[in-house]
Amino acid sequence: MPRKVVALIKLALPAGKANPAPPVGPALGQHGVNIMAFCKEYNAKTSDKVGLVIPVEISVYEDRSFTFILKTPPASVLIKKAAGIEKGASEPNKQKVASITQAQLKEIAETKMPDLNANDIDAAMKIVAGTAKNMGVAIAN
Amino acid sequence: MSNCWWEIIVVCDPILEESVFWRLDSFGCSGTSTQAEDTSYVVKAYIPDIKIKPLDLSALTLWLKEDAISVEATAPEVSWQLISEEDWASGWKQYWQPQKIGDRFLIYPAWLDIPQNPERLLLRLDPGAAFGTGTHPTTQLCLESLEMRFYEEAETLAIADIGCGSGILSIGAMLLGAKEVAAVDTDSLAIKTCRSNCQLNDIEQKRLIVREGSISELTKLETTYDGILCNILADIIVQLFPHFNTITHDKSWAILSGILLEQANQIADLVESNGWTVAALWKRQEWCCFNIRRSEY
Repeated sequence: MPRKVVALIKLALPAGKANPAPPVGPALGQHGVNIMAFCKEYNAKTSDKVGLVIPVEISVYEDRSFTFILKTPPASVLIKKAAGIEKGASEPNKQKVASITQAQLKEIAETKMPDLNANDIDAAMKIVAGTAKNMGVAIAN
Repeated sequence: MSNCWWEIIVVCDPILEESVFWRLDSFGCSGTSTQAEDTSYVVKAYIPDIKIKPLDLSALTLWLKEDAISVEATAPEVSWQLISEEDWASGWKQYWQPQKIGDRFLIYPAWLDIPQNPERLLLRLDPGAAFGTGTHPTTQLCLESLEMRFYEEAETLAIADIGCGSGILSIGAMLLGAKEVAAVDTDSLAIKTCRSNCQLNDIEQKRLIVREGSISELTKLETTYDGILCNILADIIVQLFPHFNTITHDKSWAILSGILLEQANQIADLVESNGWTVAALWKRQEWCCFNIRRSEY
């Protein structure tokens, strides 16, 4: 009989560097998950991606065991990489710090597609473009 | 006194998740957690209370709302509260029970009453925020390997534990009768926890030396170790292993773990290219443990 999932939690964490501090501790501690065991497994599976944020979706079962799958990096991380910037604008309405091309936008949307709340590539591009706008990154025509 | 954190809770339309992550990340939060609730996402992020003031949180709320409006989405609901580390750090302890490992060990939570006449070696532990509770397959494999290594002349063995975490392996070696153990870890919190667990198990300080650092700290002690314990991660083992010969002799052995099965070939090649021999490879779930030695036989 399949095990019953009692919680489905997504965490966005720095690859290879998970520790019991928030958000891991509060998110998993409340479900009785062995926090250090999760950190060890996450770090082992992401140690070749240090420097990136790698989200993880964790299924917690009723016996407090867990499984997880790794997800694609956040759109903002991919946008910063594509635009070649370290951080976004402090006032995105007044200031644009960089730009990415439509082709780059589409590439990011395609990468993110499996994890976005979007039915098609146009909807995914709209979400990524919205994040870029809020970061002060323009989309060049 | 425990540390306090601001917990920032953002209830938003799922299409805003990426944008909310960016805003919270820019604000200084390290990571987020997200859970679906009805048709919304509940995104939580945390920041130490000493880093910001409540006014900063009000400004964050405005930014999050402006971000939503700029992409024509419904403005999120934002709230925050102060939480203490104690609120979550101890939560899982209520589920951690005494655990038999191998033929001889009984891992025993520090907060339980000591049993009368335990039939096994009682290894008392409060892991705090350090790695090593005995529940992880790699720790179990290492302790079982230790038992196999300590079948004779245990009282003469000098052991080094690299990445000691809670100290579970170091203390295990002492309980099995090692002459001395040197434990190192680069995490200062682990060092504190390891020392505390040594006291808990009445281990003499002069026989179990605990130092913050890595192999270079062991080199300073000018001891040649009979056995090395290294339960960290494959990538770190790859960096450290070439230095093992500087702290061992030609009949030394080592127990390596924290290695995923898919990384086993890489570690086997590393071991052999440095002149060591793989004596045994043990597997549990998706993890493995190498028992290796410097001599060919």
